[in-house]
Order: sequence, then C-alpha cells, then structure tokens
Amino acid sequence: MKKLLLIIPVSVLLLLAFTLQEKYSFTIPQGWPEPNTDFKKEPLSLEKVELGRALFYDPVLSRDSTISCASCHLVYTAFTHVDHDLSHGINDKIGTRNSPALMNLAWHKLFMWDGAVNHIDVQALAPISNPVEMDEKIEHVVEKLQRSKLYPRLFKKAFNDSLITGQHTLKAIAQFMLTLVSSESKYDSVMRKHSKFTAQEKKGYDLFKKNCSSCHTEPLFTNLQFESNGLPQDPTLKDPGRIKVTKNPVDSLKFKVPTLRNIEFSYPYMHDGRFKRLQDVLNHYTSGIKQSQTISKQLVNPIILSSNDKVDLVAFLLTLTDRKFLFNKNYAYPRNIFAKAAQD
Amino acid sequence: MNLLRTLIFLSLLNVIGFAQGKKLLFYPIFNDQMIPPGGGTTYWISKTDTVTIETLRFYISNVELLSKNKVIWKETNSYHLLDITKPMSFLVKLKTPPGITFTQLKFTLGIDSVTNVSGALGGDLDPTKGMYWTWQSGYVNFKLEGKSNLCKTRNNAFQFHLGGYQSPFKACREVILDVIDKEGAEIYFDIARLFWGLDLNKQNEIMSPCKEAVELSDKLVKGFRSTE
Repeated sequence: MKKLLLIIPVSVLLLLAFTLQEKYSFTIPQGWPEPNTDFKKEPLSLEKVELGRALFYDPVLSRDSTISCASCHLVYTAFTHVDHDLSHGINDKIGTRNSPALMNLAWHKLFMWDGAVNHIDVQALAPISNPVEMDEKIEHVVEKLQRSKLYPRLFKKAFNDSLITGQHTLKAIAQFMLTLVSSESKYDSVMRKHSKFTAQEKKGYDLFKKNCSSCHTEPLFTNLQFESNGLPQDPTLKDPGRIKVTKNPVDSLKFKVPTLRNIEFSYPYMHDGRFKRLQDVLNHYTSGIKQSQTISKQLVNPIILSSNDKVDLVAFLLTLTDRKFLFNKNYAYPRNIFAKAAQD
Repeated sequence: MNLLRTLIFLSLLNVIGFAQGKKLLFYPIFNDQMIPPGGGTTYWISKTDTVTIETLRFYISNVELLSKNKVIWKETNSYHLLDITKPMSFLVKLKTPPGITFTQLKFTLGIDSVTNVSGALGGDLDPTKGMYWTWQSGYVNFKLEGKSNLCKTRNNAFQFHLGGYQSPFKACREVILDVIDKEGAEIYFDIARLFWGLDLNKQNEIMSPCKEAVELSDKLVKGFRSTE
C-alpha cells in the first residue's frame, strides 16, 4: 500500500512533466486533404512555435544581422516580398528568384521553386547559407543564439534543453512555418455555404474550373507538382528550373505550381516575378505561351478567354484573399518576446 | 604518427577492459601509408604527381555484426561521422551485449535515403556538422578536400563532396567485410582508391549529386578491408 502511495504521486509528476509543453492544436480545415506533415509523429507545441516565430523575425540568422526571414516574407503580403521581382538579400544583393508566398506548407512535400528541399525542417538552411540571401552558416547561427540572453531560455522551454543545436533551431522555424494556414477566404466561406459569390465571381469560378484548376487544384490551389508554364526563359537569369536538381531533361524549365491563395497581395508573379498584374498573368496564358518539349500538357492547346472572361476570372481570384490570415496577430512580429529580452 | 599510436593505445586500453562492448577502429590509409590525424600530409599518386589531403570526413552508418551470414547484432540510430581532425571519431564503440562473437561486419559508407528525407536530425547528423547540403537537401556521405599539382584550379585545390540519395544518383554504399573478432575489429580505408584512373586535371570538383559522384563512390567503397 505504501508503495502504491508513492507510485501515484510519482506517476502524476511524470505525467505533468510530459504535458508541460502546451500543445498547439493544428486543425485541418473542413474538406481539406490530410496534410503531408505527420503531426502525430511530431506534434506542434506552443513553445516551439513561439521560438520559431522569434527566429523567423530575428536578423541574427544572417551574417551581419541585417536580414531576417521576414525581410522577404512579410505577413501582410502573404509572406512574400512585394515590389521586388527577385528577392533582395544581404548588402542589397539580388537573388535569382521571386520569394514565394508562404502558406499551407504542411501540405507540401517539396519546397522552393525547384523542389530542391525535401523537408520543411531543412528549408531554412537554403536562405541562411545562400551568399545573396543571409550568407551565414548554421553552425555560426547556433553559436550566436547560444551566446544570446534570450535564446537559451526559449530553447529550454521549447526543447527542454538550453544547449542549442542546428536540429532544434531548424525544427522551431519549421514549426512556426507549419502554423501559417490560410483557409478563411471568401472562397472558403462560399464552399462552406456561409456566403455566396457575386454573379461575376461565380462566372470567374466556372472559368477557373474549366481553365486553371487542373494545376491550381482546390482547395490548396496548387497540385504541388512541377510544371513548365510556357514562360520564355529570361536570357539574363537562364534559370533552368527543376532540371538543376534532378538533372533529368524532362524537368527542364519546370517550376513548382504556386498557390493562388492571397494572390491579390503576393505580386509580382511567376518564379522570376516578371508579371506585376494579374491581367499580365492571364494575358500570358492566352497569348504568351512558348511551346517547348517539356510544356505542361494542359497548355498544349490554347486557353481562350475574352477580355470580359479575364475580368470575371480576376474577380474570382480576389475571393482567395484571406484577411484573417494576413492580419493574424499570431504571425506578426513577436514584440512581447523581443521587448522582454531587451529589458533583461 | 604519434597521435596514431596514441589512438591505437587508447583502443587497446578499451579492449583490455575499460568499457563493455565491441570496438571498431578505422584506419584511413593512402595506398600502404597511414593518414595521420589532422591532415596536411602529401602522397605520391605517380612518379611526378602528388596529392595533399586537408579535409577527410565521412559517415559510417547502419552497423551490423554477423556470424555465419546471419545478423547477430544491429546498432540502433547508427550514424558515425569520422573526421581526420578528430582522431577519436575513428574509434567507433558499439553497445553490444557480452558473449557475442562476430565473423563479418556490415556497414554503409554514407547516409541512406530514408534518413536523407527525415528532416532535421541531431547528433552526428546535425546540419551544423558541415556534412549537409544547404541549397539542395541531402547529406554529403564523403568529403575529401586537398591539393594536387594536377589541378589547374585556384591554389591547386580539389573538392570531392560525394552524396546523393535519389535514383539514379544514390551514392551511399554497403560494405561487408570478413573480420576476426578481437573484442572488435580494425578496418583499413584506402582513400587512394578514389584517385585510381581519375584525371585530376579534368575532374577536381564534385559538389552535388551526379553520375560522377556515384562512380567515385563505387571505387571508394572498395578501399575498405580488414587489417587481418
């Protein structure tokens, strides 16, 4: 009996120790497929997400502490960099691709325009090390974080270990990125029968389903595949696309199909940001396609849209704007964390 | 060679009784010469040409002990980064139970495909170890950097970062060796194999998964042999 008396409080303590981490509940939006990320295997925790958010906004990730993830991925523009066709990095160096909008990444299997990154955990390594982005080394980032006043404490809370590792740094950033879910646009509300499209939006939606949705598949508005969409190669960039990764000629000029969610705010468009307006994008699909060996089979036959159709289609695309996502306080600069650190 | 002797001494101490479990001791060699810890040593590859080794780092993973062609023990979470600047990394201690004897040793040079797609990992696999490609996901299985008069590159440098986990560029290789179990085994790894038939003038930089990396991995893996 005495033994039992001891066992009960000990097991309660043990249980507490395991539940101290507050679980971050990740909800799959109604009618959406299962995400690619296995949250059962690796559940999100509030502490890890908060740490990841701090890291996302902290320029300490770059060599000279000038560039953070948020420099090119701003929440108000669906986590991309508007006004810049190509991403701007350290010392105003200019990259070769348009920074992609970040959302619904839990459903993605491969990352970056060419799919060079195979897991969300290791995605951040690419911009951290790229000489025209953050130009830093993960081993040095870890040293800097370890020396800081703020981070050993945050890592202790998140991973129960104040010794900072590359693994934990990357996992925390990944956890924050996984929480960026956009599923509250007008389109979503219409699908859930909470509101209705206008007549014009409805026309646009029908045109979309007929002409666009085979690649920009609902509800993610991307089929997550790599396609060549008939853009003539930019002679100054000579970006070969996915073939650079696979070295397989069938992947020449292919890029990841981007989501159309929040497209109103994520301009400019395409992997090299060559189009500023949605109108330009639609004009490309109706009259700018350059045929090639690897062109997407959906684009072999011309897409025909009248100018009225294009207006309707744009009206539909604007229903993909999700203001709750764009103005979500949980995604914004973590003022409280950094302010508290400054006081210490 | 002093450090190497220390290494052997340490391994002997271990064998005599400090720690439980089998030990694997890897000796990096160049033809018939030991490559001492620290690097910076030079070797002849022909009558006129030399190779200086500055960085040598590689993964040994999925270690299994066999007896009569049957696996009798398998290491879990089996990843070891061996680094010429860290001599003790060449001594791999296994947490084997007492009373087993093995006649064959099986391991992988490099990191298998499943591990390569498992996100950010820790320990010897932590991306801070300098063995992970950043612009394209995947581990470098084997890294050899140095100089040769044959390389018409800046500082006559060569860099071989061999890796790749996806077909047709999968570069990790399994090794099975017959060994004599003396509370462990000692294995030579002859790096000179890499240079057999290699035209350093033309091929001196491999930094991503490719056909050449696969071919060199095939050559290199034949460099493992038991010291017995």
